[in-house]
Amino acid sequence: MSVTRPRVSIYYNMLSLYRIIKFSFQDIARNIWLTLVTITILLLALFSINTLMTVRLISDNAVSAIKEKVDISLYIRPETPESEIMALKAQLTNSERIKNVLYVSKQSALETFREKYKNNQAVLAALKELGRNPLSPSLTIISQNFEESNLLINELKMLESPIIESRDFSDNTVILNKINSITKRVNEVGLFIISIFILTSLLVVYNAIRVAIYTHRQEIEIMRLVGASNFFIYMPFIFSALVYALLSVLIIISVFYPFLTLLQPYLEVFFMGYNVNILSYFVSNFWLVFGLQFLAVLFINVIASLFAVRKYARV
Amino acid sequence: MITLHNASKTYGNKVEVLQDVDLHIKPGEFVSIVGQSGAGKTTLVRILIGEERLDRGQVVIGDWDITRISKREVPFLRRQIGVIFQDFKLLPKKTLEENVAFALEVSGGTPNKIKKIVPSVLKIVGLEDKKHRYPNEVSGGEQQRAAIARALVHQPKILLADEPTGNLDAINANEIIDLLLRINKFGTTVILVTHNKEIVNHLNKRVITMDHGRIVSDQAKGKYLL
Repeated sequence: MSVTRPRVSIYYNMLSLYRIIKFSFQDIARNIWLTLVTITILLLALFSINTLMTVRLISDNAVSAIKEKVDISLYIRPETPESEIMALKAQLTNSERIKNVLYVSKQSALETFREKYKNNQAVLAALKELGRNPLSPSLTIISQNFEESNLLINELKMLESPIIESRDFSDNTVILNKINSITKRVNEVGLFIISIFILTSLLVVYNAIRVAIYTHRQEIEIMRLVGASNFFIYMPFIFSALVYALLSVLIIISVFYPFLTLLQPYLEVFFMGYNVNILSYFVSNFWLVFGLQFLAVLFINVIASLFAVRKYARV
Repeated sequence: MITLHNASKTYGNKVEVLQDVDLHIKPGEFVSIVGQSGAGKTTLVRILIGEERLDRGQVVIGDWDITRISKREVPFLRRQIGVIFQDFKLLPKKTLEENVAFALEVSGGTPNKIKKIVPSVLKIVGLEDKKHRYPNEVSGGEQQRAAIARALVHQPKILLADEPTGNLDAINANEIIDLLLRINKFGTTVILVTHNKEIVNHLNKRVITMDHGRIVSDQAKGKYLL
């Protein structure tokens, strides 16, 4: 009797691949409860991570929005022709410290004012009594770098222009420092919590896969006894790991997007006037966010499978 | 067919489970290996299927010296030796037919070969009517017959039966032994490891008796001595 190795041909490889996929799906279907439990654990881990990521995004977006809302405004004399205002706007836009300059016309200012006080009849009546638009046009300036706002304010203080009626820089220093401090704290704490969460989730997933394979220890032993090669013993489990990862990420996508769609209107109401759009972030970063999650889950699943199978497949 | 020369195996530092065993089994023989627990019978089986390696000595199967068999070669050895165990070792989530076909599938058997061989071995063991049942839906004797069918799919030259009747009642045990004798008649070498005195005495075939890792008796038409 001598060692007879099977012919390795494309047909043999395709046959092996077909059987590996067949064994994997057979195992997934015939151990449906174990499959459901494993996928549920993966889903819970992914949902926790995505929720935490959403919370972090909301806080980041909110802070950015608040930063943008720290107004630096130049009020223009009411009778100034629009061409001169546009010239000043263009001049300001050229500054390196300025990200954007918004022109608010007299009419637009009035409309905003009316909208703001639509429930205050006394104010509206006073406005009507006045018989004219008392508001000035303005240029709202958004700084390029929030941390350098004070330098920008100094620059604007020195700006000489006959059309400028007044300058509103409020006292930004206190609010600037406060926001910077909160942002820093949120970043530090958020990163720590996310790291702990990711680590915990990965360990739970790792353990779930090991438990799933533990229930197959007898099967692995039998596979060895009937002469299955290591490739044939490992691959169905690796393929199952791939299926688990794919299914869990697909399910989380199908659950998370409706969840975000439902959440978005509430966020818009809560952050009224601020640009906080979580849904668009997840849409525009779809492949990065969910591709990375898929790869991470796949990686941990495969590693767990390899270690667990190796334990029971020792010759 | 099988030759062991000065075969020795020690677990840990002290427990010598095989001591200088010399043994030759000819092709087509039916050999019973008997002995008390700890005599070294199961270790011998594990060495023959590549599950354990000898510390000293040599083991040759056919013209293949498996004394230092590599892990990579073990699956190829196991496809050429049929093995059955006391606890049947069937996959509970596969039908009897799938269990039998599985041994061929994992070794790259073509669909045509599987279609041809699986029904024929199921017929040999008398399970063609129950092939779609799961192991927990049939009796112990039928499970052992399915295990034998699985062991036969590679048309092995050697069939190792490690306590195959240990979990069976007398009627089922006799049926399994009759089946092993029929397989032996086809030319397959059968090595039966057993505790069952009645079966060994009834067989009237070669009996090797082991005690404390040594062969203490080797009779051409022997009886259970212990």
